[in-house]
Amino acid sequence: MIKLKERRKPDDPGDSGSLNDLSFLLIVFFIVIAGFNVNKGFLMDLPDASRPRIVQTADLLKCAISDSGEISLNGEITTMEALTESVLEKKRNNANMTFALTVSPGAEWQRVVDVIHEIRRLEVSNFSFKMGGEQS
Amino acid sequence: MIRISRPRKKPMIPMSSMSDIGFLLLIFIMLISLINQRHEVPIEYSEATRLEKTQESDNLEIWVETNGRLSVDGQIVDDAKLESIIAAALSEKPATRVHVIADRKTPYRHVNRVVRVLQALQHRTVSFVVKEAL
Repeated sequence: MIKLKERRKPDDPGDSGSLNDLSFLLIVFFIVIAGFNVNKGFLMDLPDASRPRIVQTADLLKCAISDSGEISLNGEITTMEALTESVLEKKRNNANMTFALTVSPGAEWQRVVDVIHEIRRLEVSNFSFKMGGEQS
Repeated sequence: MIRISRPRKKPMIPMSSMSDIGFLLLIFIMLISLINQRHEVPIEYSEATRLEKTQESDNLEIWVETNGRLSVDGQIVDDAKLESIIAAALSEKPATRVHVIADRKTPYRHVNRVVRVLQALQHRTVSFVVKEAL
């Protein structure tokens, strides 16, 4: 019987195709994970504590957040919807409207964020905030 | 003259080098993510719907917990230490973006401590980090 030697096929360089897929999948995974660490929020200019701005009383809209999270506008307790209405009305009448927010020391941060978010949404350019009991 | 035509080989792109490139990229991205490692403090983020991206190339994150504990890069700090850390970061890289990341239930007086430190350093632009509400 004649034994025929089988010729070995040279290694196919295209065989590592699945390895490529795996490595690229891992790359995509890491890129996506890196995207999770991006901070989002509100970019704000802090008021200058040493040089307080002088604002005309007619342009001023005073808002306060109490320890319990109640919002009051010019001394009267109000809701977020009513606050929106008041800000819009004041903006219509006073182009230079300034929104002054006073936050009680015990007010929850989320409540402050809610008001800042609303003011940002209404595109109020003059906005200042301070903690209750502090000198403005 | 006899012409012997040789069978032409099909042109082929070697794919084996692709995996090398892939793994090199992988190592590169893993190293970069290690450099950008973030000391995350377990907090409950405050939420809002309309946000802007506040991330910069140089960032300094100040974490404020409900009990008023402040931390920077996993290190718990008091107001004086926080001031020196911010001052050092800003003097090294003036364009550093300062992020305040506070728990949603944090009383405002604790956030105000950070605000006062920043005001004392005459640093105006601050990012208040908030999570996007779904």
